[in-house]
Amino acid sequence: MSQKTLLHDLHVRLQARIVDFHGWLLPVQYEGIIAEHRCCRKAACLFDTSHMGQFLLTGPKAADDLAGLLTRDARKMRIGQCRLALLLNEQASILDDSILLRLAPEEFMLCVNAGPRHSDLEWISSRLSADTVIVDQTEKWGKIDFQGPMTYSILAPHVEDDLSSLRFYTGFRTRCMGKPAIITRSGYTGELGYEICASGDDLIQIAQTLLEHPDVKPAGLGARDLLRLEMGYNLSGQDIGEFVNPIEADMERLMCDTHEFVGSAALDEIKRHGASRRLVALTCDTRRKMSTHDQILHKGEVVGEVTSGAYSPSIEASIGLGYVKRGLWDEGTILTVRTQRADMDVTVASKPMYKNGTCRTNIQEAVK
Amino acid sequence: MSIPSGLLYSEQHEWIKLEGDVATVGISQHASEALGDLTFIDLPAVGKQLKQGDEACAIESCKAAASVYSPAGGKVVEVNEALANDPAILTNDCYGEGWIFKMKLDNAADLANLMDDKKYADLLGSL
Repeated sequence: MSQKTLLHDLHVRLQARIVDFHGWLLPVQYEGIIAEHRCCRKAACLFDTSHMGQFLLTGPKAADDLAGLLTRDARKMRIGQCRLALLLNEQASILDDSILLRLAPEEFMLCVNAGPRHSDLEWISSRLSADTVIVDQTEKWGKIDFQGPMTYSILAPHVEDDLSSLRFYTGFRTRCMGKPAIITRSGYTGELGYEICASGDDLIQIAQTLLEHPDVKPAGLGARDLLRLEMGYNLSGQDIGEFVNPIEADMERLMCDTHEFVGSAALDEIKRHGASRRLVALTCDTRRKMSTHDQILHKGEVVGEVTSGAYSPSIEASIGLGYVKRGLWDEGTILTVRTQRADMDVTVASKPMYKNGTCRTNIQEAVK
Repeated sequence: MSIPSGLLYSEQHEWIKLEGDVATVGISQHASEALGDLTFIDLPAVGKQLKQGDEACAIESCKAAASVYSPAGGKVVEVNEALANDPAILTNDCYGEGWIFKMKLDNAADLANLMDDKKYADLLGSL
């Protein structure tokens, strides 16, 4: 039985096309994927991301415990700082990717993916000190991702604290439209944007008010997948998962600190030998789409597999992510993707594939 | 939902219109809406010989990929090249500017297996 998010009635009223995504009923599109994608790159879009897991961790040893479980060192994080971090098993295989926010010296919020949420909770809970408390607030609080270059000016008047003080990958506990909320400046689209967490009715009111603005459109999973793929962001359970380690997933340099954590010894060992394959971005100047599980070939030999693919309206090219063997992952390498109907030549590209994202905009400079 | 009369429809949601001995083929508005925003139309090769029900070409959208089956047997004599660069033409006018290919029929009797607009409307109503 699929679960409804807090915003379900709103999606129905907006005539969304709804699908089951990891046990949650979520909109795949409202007006259309390309219109929503364009709106997010040019103006502002609102995504329901209430299916994602929200864990609150508190206690004097919370930072130590999290440092021992995640690839980023929670002890070194400042209050208000966010970090992308991986949850690994002892073999350094990826259980999930997550965003960690330090709310207070002894309080953190960890946002995880919907698919592995229950197993993440069990994995983390069983490894905490006795006085660290973990609360899964996913079903009481929801989350919206408000993304696009115009989001700051639309959201700022509704936020009690100075929204311009939030730099990329920081967040705070504040009030939004008078309601208690946690806002981080982060997202999954490459655009300037915010993730807003609030409880039940409060989140509904915040979402409805933002959608009343003429420049804001609701957007679904379809646009979200396209936007993230253009940025080369990995999708948990599809591009990454227990079948790979962070070095293969090309996430080690950005997301792994050097402290000790579950999987760090195995990771060091893998680093010494080097990875045998790596996740790369692929582009091809055509409209033909590459798809998950399409084979990647080099000189007639299978050298890898596509994990994500789409036609990118921003780049006007076919784009994708896929694993390729060592020696073939350098930028500019030409490979062949065998789609169901035809072979196509693809080039290993740099990430992000879409280079004009506004996520790192300096708001304080921009509003001067 | 638009279902023009004068066209014949297949259960796989293609339409066909015979004029002289050449028939024009496209997909119905129902099929177009189900696919959503189209990104690529893999047109058939001119000269391709098709039997009724053969896969003639494929359509990719943001969400899915779908096959277009030939509603009758015959040879492809022309394809709508405009769709290659702008698949939205099909979405905007699936019964007109968004036609996909034209074929010379081997046997016009194939058309007897297809539905008129009223029967096709009944089929959609039953889905």
